Amino acid sequence: MTYGILSFGAYVPTLRLARSAIAEAVSWAVPGVKGLARGERAVANWDEDAITLAAEAGRDCLRGLPRSAARLQLASTTLPFADRSNSGIVADALRLPGEVATEDLAGSRRGATTALARLGRGGEGSTLLIAADCRETRPGSVQEMNYGHGAAALLFGDGDPIAVVRGAASVHEDMVDQYRAADTDYDYALEERWIREEGYNKLVPAAVRAAAQQAGLELGEVHRFVIPAAASIAKGLAKILKVADDRLADPLIAEVGDCGVAHPLLMLAAALESAVPGEKILVVGFGQGADAVVIETLPRLAELQGTRGPSRYLAQKRPFANYTMFLSLRNRIDIDFGLRSERDNRTSMSAFYRRRKDVSGMLGGRCSACNTLQFPRSQVCVKCTAIDTQTPESLAEMTGRVKSYTEDWLAYTPLPPYIYGNVEFADGANLMLEFTDFAPGAVGVGSEVRLVFRIKDFDTRRHFRRYFWKPAPVLA
Amino acid sequence: MAKGIKDKVAIIGMGCSRFGERWDCGPEELILEAFKEALADAQVAISDIEMAWLGLFYQEQSAGKSALPLAMTLRLPNIPVTRVENMCATGTEALRGAVYAVAAGACDIALAMGVEKLKDTGYAGLPERTKGTFDDLWLPNATAPGAFAQLASAYAARHKLPMQDLKRAMAHISVKSHANGVLNSKAHLRKTITEEDALKAATVAYPLGLLDCCGVSDGAACAIVTSVEKARAMGYKDVVTVKAMQLAPSNGLEMSNTAWDGSYLLTTRAAAKRAYAEAGITDPRREISMMEVHDCFSVTELVVMEDLGISPEGGAIKDVLDGVFDRDGAVPCQVDGGLKCFGHPIGATGLRMAYEMYLQLLGRAGERQVSNPTLGLTHNLGGHPFRNVASVSVFGLHAV
Repeated sequence: MTYGILSFGAYVPTLRLARSAIAEAVSWAVPGVKGLARGERAVANWDEDAITLAAEAGRDCLRGLPRSAARLQLASTTLPFADRSNSGIVADALRLPGEVATEDLAGSRRGATTALARLGRGGEGSTLLIAADCRETRPGSVQEMNYGHGAAALLFGDGDPIAVVRGAASVHEDMVDQYRAADTDYDYALEERWIREEGYNKLVPAAVRAAAQQAGLELGEVHRFVIPAAASIAKGLAKILKVADDRLADPLIAEVGDCGVAHPLLMLAAALESAVPGEKILVVGFGQGADAVVIETLPRLAELQGTRGPSRYLAQKRPFANYTMFLSLRNRIDIDFGLRSERDNRTSMSAFYRRRKDVSGMLGGRCSACNTLQFPRSQVCVKCTAIDTQTPESLAEMTGRVKSYTEDWLAYTPLPPYIYGNVEFADGANLMLEFTDFAPGAVGVGSEVRLVFRIKDFDTRRHFRRYFWKPAPVLA
Repeated sequence: MAKGIKDKVAIIGMGCSRFGERWDCGPEELILEAFKEALADAQVAISDIEMAWLGLFYQEQSAGKSALPLAMTLRLPNIPVTRVENMCATGTEALRGAVYAVAAGACDIALAMGVEKLKDTGYAGLPERTKGTFDDLWLPNATAPGAFAQLASAYAARHKLPMQDLKRAMAHISVKSHANGVLNSKAHLRKTITEEDALKAATVAYPLGLLDCCGVSDGAACAIVTSVEKARAMGYKDVVTVKAMQLAPSNGLEMSNTAWDGSYLLTTRAAAKRAYAEAGITDPRREISMMEVHDCFSVTELVVMEDLGISPEGGAIKDVLDGVFDRDGAVPCQVDGGLKCFGHPIGATGLRMAYEMYLQLLGRAGERQVSNPTLGLTHNLGGHPFRNVASVSVFGLHAV
């Protein structure tokens, strides 16, 4: 038994906005952004936030593995709740045991790499580390162009690891390269040249060299450098560190964008998809200092490759080039959706509390008398009417089949049409569910769907949001 | 073995307000408009009414909770009044309460009133309600058209039909109902439409277009009922009696289990079977003279023709296109214009349907009169196809 990384996972939202659409819309005011208008950026759908991004990355990481982590750490600078355990919601979505220790790691872009460095030292028990960010950006800003939304996860524990941490180091300097005040929406960023010269070029090499030294490695022995920064910055660092450019991991800017606290782990997950055993990967985190963590891959990695990681999510995309749709999805503009959108979405917290595991974990009930699966779980079986025979069973990982559906242009949804329908699952289970991520015309009777954990409704009056599972396109 | 309700209770008076966007009326005025007509028809006094039932669905924005809206509006002399609610079967439930009370001998004369004031919300479609139950944690925020549109997608899939074939039959249904509604001064929408209009209308919820949907209206309808014995004593000779009143709510099977494929209405089948047994009907297509079914959406009417056993399984499209349900067809349906042209003030609808059957059976339907009807069927479907309350009632002539 070795303590190390047992699995990895990632998630990139389906919606991808062409950066040229941003430039087209805002370059009248800020012509400079035209130069950034290459590729596309991942955009969280209206029903996604740091919690749902994290839940999907966590699921990807735990695919085929027992849901037994003793600790869940959620690193994010965009947690939707300032007071309510965000990681706790993710833990329920992932159906982790009730005794799981949940930790929200907030307030630092380095949250994930700092946690990774600590976990690498061992003795931390079975821990699922998830990093997710869903940063909103000011229209016309450089961040709007460069940022993306995404998440990644690593599972640590004792077992037969896919990789182990060989060394780690951190430096702290209160360099305010950018910041976001607690009560504001947007990052305030300083001059890029200063950040590069005084920040990346000085702080990152210090951490990297210390980590390599701890790992007993020369930098030339490192196969890949995961440096979450613009290509020009990463290349500059490669020069300073005297390593070849081809050792720089794909920054995932062209197709995703900078995912903040999640980005180092997302790039690492992408690297793990193709790494061979024995590779040394150096992961950097930057922001008010730097973290550097040296990872070495092990033979077991090959068994997980192809079953998880960002590439399948990257392949599953719904491209769009409508800038106002992007702004509206992220609640940057207030489209008039009509009086119907004024519905009061108060949540009955006591009703939620009674059914919290069912709602968050998609738990139905299986009747021990007739084996029928059903949601919601009930005391009387819908099929054989036996009483008190149902044991909880989650439908979350099942593939469903659409039996009937509609594209409703009357119902309010932030991304019309409101698509919903009857979906059948294994062993007789059938549910009417709200769909997500499908473009109009993409659903049909017989379509296969998978379930994803999403925001069900916003209660704008009380600043609450509730979550549930929705059918989405199956992964290729 | 219970004998059922057949020919125990007579309807001696009915009334129906004009349906529509009644900006001029609150629920009280709608109630009175229907009630005055029924009172004159039955030739009884308010003081003769011993018990009353009020059907009202949207209590919050319509007339309010309890029996009070009816008791106070009519200044009823502190008699027992009960408010009932059973989704779109609410009006029929009010009538069922009154009919059962009379049949039980609890009173001689009872009133059933249904009313709904929908057009005070400020927007089109049915009112949204405040959320806050367990269902709200997981069920879609579906609209009625979206829920019923799925009957069409599932029906087309089951019978392997191209959607345009189904849409054509649905269009015929709407065209037929509009042709009937034009002849009815109490209908909300009084305008003929063409198949092309229906097919080209804007999509509300795929595959339903605007003209596949019924209107949203205000309205009230009521009935005064008595026992057959009392009717005889009052000097009536031929009366309209209740032949059957059956109700079938879902038990959750449709929404939770794959046993249901979404292409038919399980509850309507159950209610119809029991209603035919209660009324002594063995061949509904031949015996039933006319129908008012719950055509909230064109596709609902089409599917219901099979659920009621009028059309064979998969045969409704042919029957619709053959004109079987047109006013001059074998089994005229929605002779008054249906929900399509009356809209659907929920509490009133079941009684509005009974009102048309009553007029037709008594030969009072004017231009819309069906020739020599003997049995009329009404059908309600409350809720959504995946969980609903269905009612099937049969009315007919009876010599006392």
